[in-house]
Amino acid sequence: MTTTTKTMQTSQGSKIQFQPNQQFDGKKMRHYVNGQTSVLHCHHYASLFSQLADDAQDFQGPKLLADASCETFGQVLCDYFKKNNVTDTCDRIAIAEQYCVFSGMGEIQFQFGPNSGTAVMSHCHVDEGWVKKWGQRDKPVNFIGQGFIQGCWGAIFDRQPSECKVEETQSIVCGAGTSQFTINW
Amino acid sequence: MAIDRNKVINDLSKLKVSGNSEGLIPAFGVLVNQFPADFWNSFSKKILDAAGDDLHDAAETLLENAAGECGYHTGYGIITSEEFNSVVGPMIEEKPEDVLHGAYGVFTAWGWANSEITELVPGEKMVVRAYDYYESDMPGTKSHCAYMIKGVSRAFMDLAYGDAYPNGHGKFKCEQTKGLETGDKFAEFVVTKA
Repeated sequence: MTTTTKTMQTSQGSKIQFQPNQQFDGKKMRHYVNGQTSVLHCHHYASLFSQLADDAQDFQGPKLLADASCETFGQVLCDYFKKNNVTDTCDRIAIAEQYCVFSGMGEIQFQFGPNSGTAVMSHCHVDEGWVKKWGQRDKPVNFIGQGFIQGCWGAIFDRQPSECKVEETQSIVCGAGTSQFTINW
Repeated sequence: MAIDRNKVINDLSKLKVSGNSEGLIPAFGVLVNQFPADFWNSFSKKILDAAGDDLHDAAETLLENAAGECGYHTGYGIITSEEFNSVVGPMIEEKPEDVLHGAYGVFTAWGWANSEITELVPGEKMVVRAYDYYESDMPGTKSHCAYMIKGVSRAFMDLAYGDAYPNGHGKFKCEQTKGLETGDKFAEFVVTKA
């Protein structure tokens, strides 16, 4: 266990705190989080977007949703790291985990080794929202989370997200206690 | 109209949202998320492009339907919430018309669209104008793309004039007749019976 812990990079030990700057523009009537237009949506909306993606397997719907998530959230984190000069990997992981909580996406913990890693979600907006709306299903549907993790990896390590592959191996939506993802690069 | 739109916007736009210790935002009877608008626009654009000409209309319908369900369920949670009742409640003189006007105040205050009702024929027709909305940021769009406002607007009419919640969904339809994304000065949405 000691050997594993030494080679794994996590947020443990980081004291950094994600600082959301939330503003409302009274002229455009828009909300901004750290300079980006931000909008509240519900689990019905997220579930139906996920279902639309899942139904569109013929033209790679799940990948399109994961890509949208990866590009958006990856950019959010890259911008944050740059603006706040967050360079330490441990701190970057901590910020990514805290941003996940802030955004309402869920609770996530990352572990990264030299060529692979894991992400464990103990709570998940997409899965818990899906279950609330339709009940459990027999295969993963968290394409948003998958893209989020890929975007986080790219931002944390200053790499192109397409260089890593994220796979969901266990899902809350299927009845598991946590959602688990493998990350390989 | 008894609703003071500016006061509704001023009071409710101060709301600051963030996830609880579990990373979830339970509110108004639903789980809420607070994502960048770019994410929603990006997927909408990608799926519409991928659908091509043959399936474009079907994809549009599904995007609007997502908003319709969002507007119906979350809209119900909002208009029955403590926040709505404390701010909009004291202004309500006529139901459900004032509730509808108040709902667009909330819709504006929470950043979905700077919008208001410009015509309302009770139980029959509603015209909504939007002066700014995040969907108009969708890149490379040449046609109307405010699926979220379309879906939510017909859902609000369902809540106002359909059967009692949760049995009144789908009684109205909405057409977008103008849009910022097509060069108009404002977007316009006409809701009528389905």
